[in-house]
Amino acid sequence: MKSTENESAIKDNLKMPPYRPLKVYTFDPTRGRTMGNYMIINTPYEKLKPGPVGNYLKVIDYDANNDCYYQPVDLDHPRVMLGNGLDPAESDPQFHQQMVYAVASETISRFESALGRPIKWRFGGALKKARRKKEGQAEPQGCDDDDDDYSRKLRILPHGMQEANAYYSDDLGSLVFGYFPASETDAGHNLPGQTIFTCLSHDIVAHETTHALVDSQKDYFMEPTSPDALAFHEAFADIVALFQHFLFKEPLQEMIRKTGGKIFREVIAPENQPDDTGPLFQAEATSENPLVGLAQQFGEAMGTRKALRSALGTPPGTNDLKKYSEPHKRGSILVAAIFDAFFSIYVRRTADLMRIAKASGASGSSTEVTQPDMHPDLVNRLAETATKTATHFLNICIRALDFCPPIDILFGDFLRAMITADHDLFANDKYGYRAALIDAFRSRGIAPEKVKSYSEESLLWSPPEATDSEALPSCSGLQFDVFNSQDIEYRKAQKQKNCSALLEFATKNAEKLGLSANPNLKIELGSFHEMHRMSDEGKLIFDMVAEFTQERKVHYDPADPNSPPFTFRGGTTVIINQDGSVRYSIKKSIHDEKDDDKNDRLKRQREYLTKRESEMSMAAYADEATIFARTLKADFGMIHRGYY
Amino acid sequence: MKTRNITKSKSKSKAKTQATTTTTISAGKANKDTKLSNPQEIRIRMYRVGFGDCFLVSIPSDESKENGSQFRHILIDCGVHSRGNIDTMEKVIHNIGQVTYRTLDVVIATHAHADHISQFARFGEEFRKFKVREVWLPWTWDDNNKDAVKLQRKRAAFINKLNQHFEALGANADQAALSAVVNLAGNERAIELLKSCFGSANAKVRYLKAGDIINPEDISIPGLSVRVLGPPESTDLLAQEDPPKGKGYLRATPSGEFEYMISAIKPFEDRWKVEDPTSTGLHLQQEEEEQLRRISSSSINDVAFALDDARNNESLVTLFVFRNKYLLFTGDAQYGNWRGWLEDEKSSSNILAKINFFKVAHHGSHNATPKAALEKMADGEFAAMVSGQSNIWPTIPHPPLMTRLNEKTKKRIVRSDWLHVEGAPKPLPNSVPEMPSELPEGFKKGDYWFDYTIPVSGDEIKIARKKIP
Repeated sequence: MKSTENESAIKDNLKMPPYRPLKVYTFDPTRGRTMGNYMIINTPYEKLKPGPVGNYLKVIDYDANNDCYYQPVDLDHPRVMLGNGLDPAESDPQFHQQMVYAVASETISRFESALGRPIKWRFGGALKKARRKKEGQAEPQGCDDDDDDYSRKLRILPHGMQEANAYYSDDLGSLVFGYFPASETDAGHNLPGQTIFTCLSHDIVAHETTHALVDSQKDYFMEPTSPDALAFHEAFADIVALFQHFLFKEPLQEMIRKTGGKIFREVIAPENQPDDTGPLFQAEATSENPLVGLAQQFGEAMGTRKALRSALGTPPGTNDLKKYSEPHKRGSILVAAIFDAFFSIYVRRTADLMRIAKASGASGSSTEVTQPDMHPDLVNRLAETATKTATHFLNICIRALDFCPPIDILFGDFLRAMITADHDLFANDKYGYRAALIDAFRSRGIAPEKVKSYSEESLLWSPPEATDSEALPSCSGLQFDVFNSQDIEYRKAQKQKNCSALLEFATKNAEKLGLSANPNLKIELGSFHEMHRMSDEGKLIFDMVAEFTQERKVHYDPADPNSPPFTFRGGTTVIINQDGSVRYSIKKSIHDEKDDDKNDRLKRQREYLTKRESEMSMAAYADEATIFARTLKADFGMIHRGYY
Repeated sequence: MKTRNITKSKSKSKAKTQATTTTTISAGKANKDTKLSNPQEIRIRMYRVGFGDCFLVSIPSDESKENGSQFRHILIDCGVHSRGNIDTMEKVIHNIGQVTYRTLDVVIATHAHADHISQFARFGEEFRKFKVREVWLPWTWDDNNKDAVKLQRKRAAFINKLNQHFEALGANADQAALSAVVNLAGNERAIELLKSCFGSANAKVRYLKAGDIINPEDISIPGLSVRVLGPPESTDLLAQEDPPKGKGYLRATPSGEFEYMISAIKPFEDRWKVEDPTSTGLHLQQEEEEQLRRISSSSINDVAFALDDARNNESLVTLFVFRNKYLLFTGDAQYGNWRGWLEDEKSSSNILAKINFFKVAHHGSHNATPKAALEKMADGEFAAMVSGQSNIWPTIPHPPLMTRLNEKTKKRIVRSDWLHVEGAPKPLPNSVPEMPSELPEGFKKGDYWFDYTIPVSGDEIKIARKKIP
């Protein structure tokens, strides 16, 4: 598609525009026109059909509650393009379609730029298997055949249902956003009973798109194998949505001015200090810092009087992890850890700016400058630093996905992934990002398994161990696509070659890589792709990241072969250098059946599934199959219904 | 001297009991089975009422009462679900009246579900004729407890709206969710009657919570001490069961009121609607549309189940201890909710291993009595009774649970639906356990009840004292 567009551009003597500017709400409609609430997102330019329908996204405006469709918007219409898209309006469904398209695109580009490769959706292996069965196709041998199927698009339903919720469904390959009436009695900034659209919340759209994006990289992360699994998905989605706040220039600057540089403050002092006497007017009221709050309109509409969740969460305390198992609550601990590190770095990096400001006569402390003295240049520089730091953190988090095991993610694993990913790029932790992350995790009791200490060296993933007799595993025959060829046939052939080389490599070196050598356990190659980075000397280095998994059926109750079965997986993420040597092997072994009674991971998973099942309210009434199916499936609502 | 008398009558009445066994299986005459001639046994009578609970526990008493009865009686629950009513209740209450000489020392209502308390209201007039000494209720019914009042107000609003919604749906409602709502609604009259002790003079109401202990000297049943294991106090219960703020259709506002969206909102003016979706080429497959519509409506069902669950977990869980015999009545509470009290035991002994009788929780449903609980009970040391029938929910009683219980009790378990009642559903084919040809040891059968008797030794303390020089 891109090549034909290029051709037509050359014919017209017109360059392809790099961006399509589109108006959206920065936060949500409640902020009106204040504080940079209207912003323009520069989505990567692509030809769009009405919907809008692009390369990655397809907006279908179906309303399940009223069983009807709404008119799709044509963003390529000249009148629309001239004004940078439609103007923000709550009553215009076409603007809503524009907004979800824009925010989702924006989130996708962030991922692409962090990962350095295009995104390919992966909607549930189960869906693919079912489709294959229906069409009578045979199962592919080891490699994912429709790997090159870029034509699958993520669907977005901006008004899918009447519910105070929004979710990502990998069954439907869609994001579904709900709408609902605001609380009659306590609606915060909203009109009581007004219709609230979750699709108009920048945060909520970014959050749900992130679920789809993480799912595209880590297919098995949606399986509930431990309390951390679903919590991780929720936390990651919140992290991306929250970090994006720090990339919006205007509100960021406004907040810096209002907080004197302390952007991590949850409550902002009023513009005018109120006297002890006389009534308060608007400018004298305290307000909440939107930068650290998530989905504020939504939270207020529910009557909670504040944002749905916060970047700050609860103060660090090593008991939090033991207390919370509900995915959003548990996830908020991870979010708080990452933001703890972020704000610490921000303070450190702006310390010199503050000192300069102080030296030139501004008043205040080491972390803030009292308001009247904030020079616009200072505000600018602080904003730049915040944005730079946020971008770096976001990149660390997204890149770390490549360094995670293929299954059963734990918070501690993610810490190790982040440390390793960042170390790979910047061997010298100049600003102390990694140190800050380690500290923040430690203070919240997030402890990785099987590490000797919280030091950086201990936390790095390691390559397979060398023994005297056997050589270290090395994968030969890998082809790296240096020139990013556009020839589809060539790419397909290359993929097949790499696939076979990798599978052969894994089978030959199974045990060294943490896989089971049992011939009955087929090794699946879930995904593989190249990773590029610049070495310290400025050379371009290639790696191949491959995820190998194995699975077997086990029973809920080890003593009872008649109890329902579930799938237990094991796998390894292998990072291979250009020369074929293995730089890291990140393993979660499936182990052998005979060692099941010693298998801690299996025990943990069993306990967790049993707990989930017993907590389901309908557990007594529905038949085993239904309960069981529900236990194994995750529900990615914005807020859980809590009833599983 | 007294002791010797008792032992003598013990051997005498043992024979007598055996004699009466044969006569009661055939349509026993009223006199013969109301007379409990052996004062040294606890008797637990499970009435077959359909899908519901009604248990009468009779504790032997040394002191004879005004009416000549040598027993003290505790009535635990009297309810049946409208969808599982087999119309034996009138006879049941008549029988209770006869056996107890219309005196109940304690009436316990475990929780506000129709299948446990509805008949207190329906037969309120009958109960008024009884002399009731004490009524035990969960603390969540206490009008003087702020938290309880708040909780009940919220629940009432919720249940009301849910009821309206499901009524409107009629036949289109999910049947299981509808049953849950039916169970929740309409219990106000029963609650009122219970709180007023059916108008009995000098009657006392106790609102109990987990951790409460009732000593023998505090009640009119000498020798009986009671440990309350559930419902848990305040915040745990409240937090756990509140449908979290703002979820789904129903939500609580900070003031504690409830709001409910029942009508569909039309978010946009009609001019935005697409007349013919196929013209735009942008539409979902029909199955996908249906799936979305289903997901939207399932949230309501989820709320119904959650409320039902919450109510079950408000059950009063009581452990009776009499002369070293332990009887556990759990109402409908899930084990997870009251196990904490067992594990808190300072003596660290496993209480569950000591029980001699277990009233199977929640009509034999699977998650009320998980494996963890069963495994703590001692093999062959206890008997169990399950009150229910499978016609509303085939998964209750849960076959694997029944099988395991059958093993653990060494077949000393009965189901209320084994009793033949004209017009009432029989146990499903292949239901577990299978009705044996001969009742297990300690069990007796009446027209519409099963009895389990536990012999208790008299005056152990006195005997012990004698041995010490």
